[in-house]
Amino acid sequence: MSLRESAKSSGQEADLSVVTGSLSDRAGVPHAGLLVELAEAVAGWRWKEVAALRNRGCQDLGPQATSDAILVASGFNGITRVADAIGIRLDPHTADASVALRANLGFNAFAPPEKWERSEA
Amino acid sequence: MIGIDYSRAAVPVQSGTGAAHENTLRALAAPGAWWSGPERLAIVREARAAPECPICRRRTRSSFATIGGIEHDGRNGLPPEAVEAIHGMRNDSGHLTRRWFDHVIAAGMRPEAYVELVAVVASSVVVDTFARGVGLGLPDLPPAQPGAPTPESSKDVVDAGAWVPIAREGRFNIIRSLAMVPSARDLFFGAFDNSYYRAPETRFALARPQVELVASRVSALNECFY
Repeated sequence: MSLRESAKSSGQEADLSVVTGSLSDRAGVPHAGLLVELAEAVAGWRWKEVAALRNRGCQDLGPQATSDAILVASGFNGITRVADAIGIRLDPHTADASVALRANLGFNAFAPPEKWERSEA
Repeated sequence: MIGIDYSRAAVPVQSGTGAAHENTLRALAAPGAWWSGPERLAIVREARAAPECPICRRRTRSSFATIGGIEHDGRNGLPPEAVEAIHGMRNDSGHLTRRWFDHVIAAGMRPEAYVELVAVVASSVVVDTFARGVGLGLPDLPPAQPGAPTPESSKDVVDAGAWVPIAREGRFNIIRSLAMVPSARDLFFGAFDNSYYRAPETRFALARPQVELVASRVSALNECFY
């Protein structure tokens, strides 16, 4: 959740709209479009698309970088399930690192109050 | 080598990832704290089968307020509340609610067993997704190891507003999340750590903003607020 911060530290400015899907050619992250498409296909288990994007990735990013992108997507496909199934709250460190992302892109909508409302005894 | 051979992958796989995923598969087949080896493998098989469940395909967000009366198309000998938990996690984790969790527990699952189930499902999702992503089939599961579970319930946990107690100490709640059952925490992060900057030796051929972009996009796609 520290895309903007990590992009700035690399001397770039990230267009955060790429994260929620309104893809921009000016994302400020090299090969952002391809990476977003690959992340979506991997997390959505759309293997034919993954195969095609993997081939594009090998040409544009390189084979190891393509493999690493698939690895990161796979890891987050698991850890998001842990966060959602345990019902953890946002901690101050994560909140501080993602203020812009949450404010601009509506991540907070993924945490409606009913997520933590208890059953009546 | 068991279950998975990344030398046949369509792209190169770092050796640390291969070793971590092999260890995960081996651990999934072993007795845990609250589930036996055969039961843990049944959880993995159920997670793999869940996308084809017709009940889940018809499900709406509001149905996660309760699990009463829901009969999934589970075939792996697990109790109904376990099948419900697996399908919910696998098919629509972004819409799970506290009330849904309360019903799972009220149906008979211990919170500790739930935590271990979460770790088993999420670990298998990490390994299965990567294996398919690099052009291989689902990894073969090793034979289940015999033996009874060794119950664990950490006392070093605290109510921090999550559905289960989480680790007393720690900066990030996600890292604290599975602490109620330490072996479950170790199982999941053993599978996950190479996928991000958790393992000290982790090196990516991507720049940090590219890694964060992929991570953020998957979080958004799964509607994970964290």
